[in-house]
Amino acid sequence: MSAQTDLPTADPDAARAAMEHCYEQGWSDGLPLVPATRPLVDEFLATVDRRPDEVIGALEHLDRSVTVEVAAINAAMAGCRPEYFPVVLAAWEAVQRDRSAKGGGWQSTSGPSPLLVVNGPVRTELGFNSTGGVFGPGFRPNMTIARSIGLIVRNALGVVPHGFEQATQGLPGRWQVCIAENEEESPWEPLSVEGGVPAGTSAVSAMLTRTVEYVDNRHTADPEQLLADFADTLSRTGALIFRNAPAGIVFCPEHAQMLAGAGMSKADVRAWLVERCGRSKADLARVGKDGVGDNGVRFAEGTPSDAVDPLFAADGPEVLPIAVAGARNAGISMVVRVFAGWSASSVPVEGRTTPSAPSPSDPAQRSAS
Amino acid sequence: MATLADVLDPTGRSSARATDATLAPRPPDLSGLRIGLLENTKHNAALLLEELAGRLEREHGAVAVLRRTKTAFALPMPDELREEFLAECDVVLVGVGDCGSCSASAVADGIAFERCGVPAAVICSDAFTVTASSMAAVQGAPDYAFLTTAHPVAVLGPEAVAERAEQLLPGVLATVTDQAGHGRSA
Repeated sequence: MSAQTDLPTADPDAARAAMEHCYEQGWSDGLPLVPATRPLVDEFLATVDRRPDEVIGALEHLDRSVTVEVAAINAAMAGCRPEYFPVVLAAWEAVQRDRSAKGGGWQSTSGPSPLLVVNGPVRTELGFNSTGGVFGPGFRPNMTIARSIGLIVRNALGVVPHGFEQATQGLPGRWQVCIAENEEESPWEPLSVEGGVPAGTSAVSAMLTRTVEYVDNRHTADPEQLLADFADTLSRTGALIFRNAPAGIVFCPEHAQMLAGAGMSKADVRAWLVERCGRSKADLARVGKDGVGDNGVRFAEGTPSDAVDPLFAADGPEVLPIAVAGARNAGISMVVRVFAGWSASSVPVEGRTTPSAPSPSDPAQRSAS
Repeated sequence: MATLADVLDPTGRSSARATDATLAPRPPDLSGLRIGLLENTKHNAALLLEELAGRLEREHGAVAVLRRTKTAFALPMPDELREEFLAECDVVLVGVGDCGSCSASAVADGIAFERCGVPAAVICSDAFTVTASSMAAVQGAPDYAFLTTAHPVAVLGPEAVAERAEQLLPGVLATVTDQAGHGRSA
């Protein structure tokens, strides 16, 4: 613990009362919040060179917006350390670049959740998990930064479950998935490079997703057999609503290295899948999705045939983003159900302080607010 | 020492929006009036509005003159679209609010028409009443009345959609006119 002078506030009973207070205000996502006080939020603001009143997002149709300072309050409440805040702001901006986040995405019955991907030196500086259990809990920056985004949507944008948030079922891990890419064991360029940020620069990429589902293949050394296993999961009919659907893959190191070992670049893998993913009109007719209306929505036309509807509308990273994360201990990867597509635009992490340095101790250096 | 009053508010809200329950003046009936249909791409939305418009034409002397699709269904209609309806229509039917975002935005559209002097009937699925009402509150008209039809709408066949229109008709009339529809069962 740092040697703060106001140790009496560390009274556990007072902390509990403060957590209950936050629940009573309706601010919590269900888990306890850290009460955000002025000194704590100022520590967050001191990590970035941004005006606290700068508006960084809005849902105009709901008459709500979020400023840098409100984002800092939510990040503090989510349990972030102050030095995570530059990553929170980059993550928020990356989410904003998903077109569905500015439309009605947060209100959707599909209940989408952002997948955040962190690249660059900030991963090790802040202690992100990029290896074993990367989709799961256990690591403070991964969990609290993802949670910050959810609290901002809830509190600042006012999209609350059973209110403006109309998710039919939602999804496991909503507001909880922030992975760091395992660049050390990836044979390919980082996702952020495809998002336009130079390698070696810390950056966050984001896309709204509907779920993730595993492809467990420890069965073949043939790269085409392996990719065919992915194509099957990618092409399942249940995920189809419109003519085409984007998707992503978070390869485990073993799968990625097998493909790279066969001479395949990330672009080669993507091209292989784009060419082969899709379903026949017969398969689609069987589930009432063979027709495509003028608005792009599938419907039960009832004209089965051997013709194949391709899954992907294009052949770039915006429809099939690929990253590498997880442990190198098994051939288990994750297919990501991308909600609207990836912006293919990553956001550099820009902080005033070296992320690994202790939080600023001189209040005079903090942002005047 | 800090107190609970020192815990900062994460909502960023400053003050509540002023309420404005303005409704457009209602005509006594629809005879000779121009009807506009604002559908939102949701499956069966256009058909349901057409079924309603057909009944209003055949049974109540209205004329359906304008049909438009709101492609960005999650958001309130663009200003140009609203102006087009205001210029050409006496009454507007809006629907179908059949998703999380489009139900809310349909209510926002209805309130916008009312404030510009054109009566509107907004139709939402009854699975989305909370979000629709929440939008009415955001727009400063918390008691704004919209019509509901049983969920689901998207999977209905054409006959069932026509049946829904028949069920909604009295409510639509009661909503957009000053007297018709009262005392009739919905």
